[in-house]
Amino acid sequence: MSRTYTYFITLVGAVCVFFIIRLFFFADLSSRTVQSDVIQGILIGFGLAVVTVQVYGRLKGTVTKTNGWTTMYGCGEPGNGMFFRAAQALVFVGPINVPQESMYWFTNADGAGQTLSGTQNYLMHFPAGQLPPNDAFWSLTMGDAKNRFVPNPLKRYNVGDRLGLVPNADGSVDVYIQHDAPAGHESNWLPAPTGNFILWLRVYIPSAAILNREYKIPPVVKIT
Amino acid sequence: MPMGYEHLLIFSGICIATWLLVIYLVPRLMLSIYKRAALSQGFGDGPIPVNTLYTQPQNLFRDPLTPLPPGSSKLMNVGTNRDTLYVVGWLDLSRGSQVLHVPDMAGRYYSVQFTDPSKNINFAYVGKRATGTYAGDYLITGPGWKGAVPQGMKQISSPNNAVLVVGRVFVENDNDLSTAYNLAKQIQLSPLNQ
Repeated sequence: MSRTYTYFITLVGAVCVFFIIRLFFFADLSSRTVQSDVIQGILIGFGLAVVTVQVYGRLKGTVTKTNGWTTMYGCGEPGNGMFFRAAQALVFVGPINVPQESMYWFTNADGAGQTLSGTQNYLMHFPAGQLPPNDAFWSLTMGDAKNRFVPNPLKRYNVGDRLGLVPNADGSVDVYIQHDAPAGHESNWLPAPTGNFILWLRVYIPSAAILNREYKIPPVVKIT
Repeated sequence: MPMGYEHLLIFSGICIATWLLVIYLVPRLMLSIYKRAALSQGFGDGPIPVNTLYTQPQNLFRDPLTPLPPGSSKLMNVGTNRDTLYVVGWLDLSRGSQVLHVPDMAGRYYSVQFTDPSKNINFAYVGKRATGTYAGDYLITGPGWKGAVPQGMKQISSPNNAVLVVGRVFVENDNDLSTAYNLAKQIQLSPLNQ
């Protein structure tokens, strides 16, 4: 949800409200036709629907962003209302799991809000004992700007608990996210493309600390 | 009533109806892409017949950059995970109930998600978290189904005749891929009474 998009949505909302006020209070109703009522009703209704879903998604706690990571709790659950179901489509395309089965986070920016790019080197630092808690597994997956897997010499497309990450002496875990292999840290390397990229973090059967929103995914930090 | 106020009524009615309808239809429109992907395009081996499950091929998992034949859907290898093999199918329960068979997964993580494509909600799960990893048979029935559930089967009642089924079978690493694939391949559907 970029700033440009926010401006666009605000503009659509303003146009709809302006049109409705003008029609109700300032228009010459006697010269109107049923045809224009119907066409304008559909257009304004459509615009308001787009704005409503965006606004609903931005209400506190619906779509959440922490340390640059965006997620939405409670997706896909049977009791979800129609506004929530529509807002889910803003964040996750497709039939994603309920949170008890799997939680998903994505980011296209580092913890400071700068767009992730293969021209930079990044580090993701999990303090000792702070890997994503789960009863199945977790993974961190790389995608290019179009969300496609990224070619690389290792054919490594993700890292995670089972994929040979080597912890530091103090038990913490660093993931090196960059285009060129980090010398001496190849086992903890998640290869990035040369251009912009996005990251997906998935936790399957997440523990209570995730479901009750206590656990925070650490930020992706640019190495200078 | 002064002249012209009926125009405000017509406009308001159409406007509110459109507003509600569009919001209500968002999930359905989104998942219609998946319906088209499964039933019309397929994921590399042609369209998937209704009421059958398609297992993601091993080579596509091993190298998700493998080019697909023209016309096939990329939904299985763009923006997806590389932790699990996918099993995908679209059900039409108006043609009769279906039986989902899952093999003994020997403790392996897997899940089969049943999604109502009109609302994008998951009304049932089979899998390690929901039902355990032993072999089992599950009877999937549409709305208003009446009948006896065969012995040894558990019933899954769908709120809708259309069901999107997404299965995920965990792959530990490349050496584990063929084992995982052989298990994923055994997640199958068959019509009831056959």
